[in-house]
Amino acid sequence: MTGETSAPAVPQQNSRRERIAFAIGVAGWLVPGLGHALMKMWGRAVACFLTVGVLVILGAGMRGNVFNSSGNDAFDSLGYLADLGTGTFYMLARALERDGSDVSRAEGDYGTRFLATAGVLNLLAALHAYEAARGRKA
Amino acid sequence: MNVGPGFKLTHLQAMLLFALAISIAFGFLSRRKPIERVKYIVWSLFLFLLIGVGIGWAMYPFSR
Repeated sequence: MTGETSAPAVPQQNSRRERIAFAIGVAGWLVPGLGHALMKMWGRAVACFLTVGVLVILGAGMRGNVFNSSGNDAFDSLGYLADLGTGTFYMLARALERDGSDVSRAEGDYGTRFLATAGVLNLLAALHAYEAARGRKA
Repeated sequence: MNVGPGFKLTHLQAMLLFALAISIAFGFLSRRKPIERVKYIVWSLFLFLLIGVGIGWAMYPFSR
């Protein structure tokens, strides 16, 4: 009898946990480090926020290419996806780069890599937060 | 390093900053204990720089 009453509760708990984990992953993507902060992993939260933030500020400061949705080829589209990985920091990068990109110089080219790396790094951190919220070892 | 309208970094400075940022993030994400994190960060940074300089020298014969 006890088994009959408690059995449906387990899938419900799993479903709820999965939804919370997904929300934490999305939060971590939108604001770098927020996913870990919601789970009180303060060191990781601060590290993610600072490293992604520094890479975005340096990348935009070096006048790297901040890709937009109207890309001409696959590389532009991939660059846009990578840049979007920074979440709200994508808007920060666009706001910081008032004069537009300049990839004719080495700094601009490096800046493009810095921005893309910041996005991919933030996606990795968000995925890490999602997995940790699901109860995987983190 | 000239911080004005745009950051002007040398190749080495850009590589150092990039490697340091990535190493710190990897260290914090993949390790829990502080001492393990520091070891991972130092080791990762060293390998980033070693491989970066190594690739740079490997490309040197084709640079001109």
